[in-house]
Amino acid sequence: MHLDNIPPREARRRGPDGAPVVTASGVTKTYGRTRALTGVDLEVRAGEVLGLVGHNGAGKSTLMRVLAGLESCDEGRVTVRGRHAAPGAAAFRGVRMAYQETSLCPDLTVAENIWLSSRHCLPRLRRRRAAGAAARRRLDEMFPGHGVSPRDRVEDLTLARRQMVEIARASLVDALDLLILDEPTESLGPDAARSLYDHVRSLTARGVAVLLISHRIGEVLSVADRVAVLRDGAVIAERPAAGLGEHDVLTLMGAQVAERDAHRPAPSAGLPADRPVVAELRGATGSGLRDVSVRVGAGEVVGLAGLAGQGQQDVLERLWRPARRDAKVRATRAYVPGDRQRSGVLPLWSVAENLVVTAMRGIARRGLRRPAEEREVVRSWVERLAIRGGADAAMTELSGGNQQKVIVARAFASSADLVLLDDPFRGVDVHTKTGLYRLIREEAARGRSVVWYSSENAEMAHCDRVYVLRAGRVVAELSGDEISEERIIAVSFAEPDPPTAAGRAQGAPGRERPQEARNHG
Amino acid sequence: MADLTRAPALSPALPTALPTRAELRRAAPAAVSAVAMAVMVAVCASLQPDVLTVPGLSLVLSATVPLVIAAQAQMTLMSVGDIDLGIGAFVGLVTVIAATSLVSSPVTGALILLGLVAAYTVLGVLVHLRRVPSLIATLGASFVWMGLGLSVLPTPGGTTPAWLAAFGAWQPAGFPAPLLPILLVAALVYLLACRSGAGVRMRALGSNPVALQRAGLSPLAARAVAYTATGALGVLSGLVLASQTGGGDVSSASSYTLMTVAAVILGGGSFRGGAAVPWGVAIGGVTLGLVSVVLSLLDVPTALQSAVQGVIVLAVLAGRVVVGKVLR
Repeated sequence: MHLDNIPPREARRRGPDGAPVVTASGVTKTYGRTRALTGVDLEVRAGEVLGLVGHNGAGKSTLMRVLAGLESCDEGRVTVRGRHAAPGAAAFRGVRMAYQETSLCPDLTVAENIWLSSRHCLPRLRRRRAAGAAARRRLDEMFPGHGVSPRDRVEDLTLARRQMVEIARASLVDALDLLILDEPTESLGPDAARSLYDHVRSLTARGVAVLLISHRIGEVLSVADRVAVLRDGAVIAERPAAGLGEHDVLTLMGAQVAERDAHRPAPSAGLPADRPVVAELRGATGSGLRDVSVRVGAGEVVGLAGLAGQGQQDVLERLWRPARRDAKVRATRAYVPGDRQRSGVLPLWSVAENLVVTAMRGIARRGLRRPAEEREVVRSWVERLAIRGGADAAMTELSGGNQQKVIVARAFASSADLVLLDDPFRGVDVHTKTGLYRLIREEAARGRSVVWYSSENAEMAHCDRVYVLRAGRVVAELSGDEISEERIIAVSFAEPDPPTAAGRAQGAPGRERPQEARNHG
Repeated sequence: MADLTRAPALSPALPTALPTRAELRRAAPAAVSAVAMAVMVAVCASLQPDVLTVPGLSLVLSATVPLVIAAQAQMTLMSVGDIDLGIGAFVGLVTVIAATSLVSSPVTGALILLGLVAAYTVLGVLVHLRRVPSLIATLGASFVWMGLGLSVLPTPGGTTPAWLAAFGAWQPAGFPAPLLPILLVAALVYLLACRSGAGVRMRALGSNPVALQRAGLSPLAARAVAYTATGALGVLSGLVLASQTGGGDVSSASSYTLMTVAAVILGGGSFRGGAAVPWGVAIGGVTLGLVSVVLSLLDVPTALQSAVQGVIVLAVLAGRVVVGKVLR
């Protein structure tokens, strides 16, 4: 852990807890058929760091948006400093959020970005200079040696520096009540992470509340005063961080805590010897991946699990376009994109055209389409998946679930031997999902291979083997009975091996530390 | 407040005199255009040495002034990520108003011109609220401008007000008159788009509208400001054009629509939005305007001029791409 030089938690404890800054009571939020929040009660108090943990889809990001006043809740209420507040109200001015994906304009300079979001506490005259000075000062406080100039354009900065600017942007306001940090250290180095948390402690010493969202549980435990565990859209536990271990948190999140090294990926284990390999990545490194080896056998459903954005999509990309030498794919491929609105649906076309577009070339003879055969293929798939509206309906008339059926059918209607699924069932209703799961198993039984990335761990139960990825590495390979939601959560949150952690800690030399961080408590 | 603005105690990132690689890369398109412009002036001078005298430069540059101003209008709209396919017809309509109402009753004429600027504001608001692509909205508006212009003045003609004609004929000693409006308008647009708060909002809208909204600012207002500025610059361009032609013709500027887009791209702008490059646009616009002068001096047949002009623009753009790759 690279926060080892923060004073012990007992020393940091203040006596009585501060007054609540933002309170959510009975908050629910529904998007279409997905219930993102199912009644959240949460209180963030002045002068504390509240850690919020939860797995994919637990409702963290929705809760944050509601607490920051960006979205309204369906039921329940959010109060800021004891007063009921509607989204966008002035009360939320002191509630600031540093977004994981950052909320900066890439074409603008750092100073201009700071001015945009903090203009009401900057002087009207000479505002460019004022914004630049404020940005530099806050960056110096938070990340000494940051190397960012206020005149730099954000698009020219590295990911880590953008994250620094984003955090500085969020904290720059005249009266900061609550600072929400969403995965702030995801792209920061250990040094920067440590100086950020030093600053966070100095903020709380001044009575600011901080809400920290991170999947690095060890980090949350070492920084936070309290930890709230979110699961299935509700806070299921709220504990003081003191005395809480990583395993306790994982258990609360629903993980079945396995022994640390219970299952290491063995290069050839899992894949039955009698199955021919149709696709293989051997030690793939670069563009988000580090030494990833994946084998896909004929007729096998291989899952890619773990927290979102840990390299699963890069694996799919490598299999889809096996350009480098480390990827060997001996099969024709079809791809089912996750973002159907942006990269799946052809909105102006009918269901039949959408469905058959990939298979069209296989059906055609000498470059000419054969409408009768195409119609037959479409008819059989519409029937098999019970697509509402039939073949001639316009694509946009269909519900999201039925659109997704068409997109999946498109891939399976082609003659591809290897189907790549990029988290395609997000926001699809249970009934449709069940049908599609059955389809995947049936097609696998016919000898097709499927590589399936899903952010819903429960879906992985339909796979023969599952690779769990973390930070671009395969951290576990599960097969058969080992595949369970609990196991996946446990391995996807597991901290890296001790040697790695020690290396990170050593890589961080001792520095001059801000006065507040040393003395408060 | 004082807390936020106190001077930094230590500043690790000292401002350096040398431009960074990123700054060089951004300045590259305008630099390539400037080189092309210099080459064209040199070609003109070698064919016709009088070009390098003050009256000669005035003559060569005067035709580019309305184009450069219209290009600044286009750039303003492109900085929010929109595009204006109606600017040519709009400039034409302004010349018609300048040659008719502005002569017969200056007050009415001025009010009509103000109304045209307001129409652009309304157009921007509609584009934003109805989520119409600006491409379609401005293309539709171009037919409205064209129709209005034709109904006011079916055939080219009319006269321009005396003050406007005087401006067109103004020949100061010492420096070429057309440089003044080109530089003045570029400076004005620079102040608006690069230095003012409104400009930051406009570019933020083109760069990342979500961030603009999260900062508690209205994307609608930013778009309305951009459209208003575009309308105002379009009116200015039309007045300058009328001062040069001495009359009104709704189709006199129809080639501007795409020429202005080319000028913005030559100057370093992008279709993506987010960037404002007023100085680059001034250079790009002059470069584009000079192409036709060079071609007529070279005795290229009129029928071929458009084709050659297109090839030159493509060559400059290719140069921009190459320089961009080298600097990456």
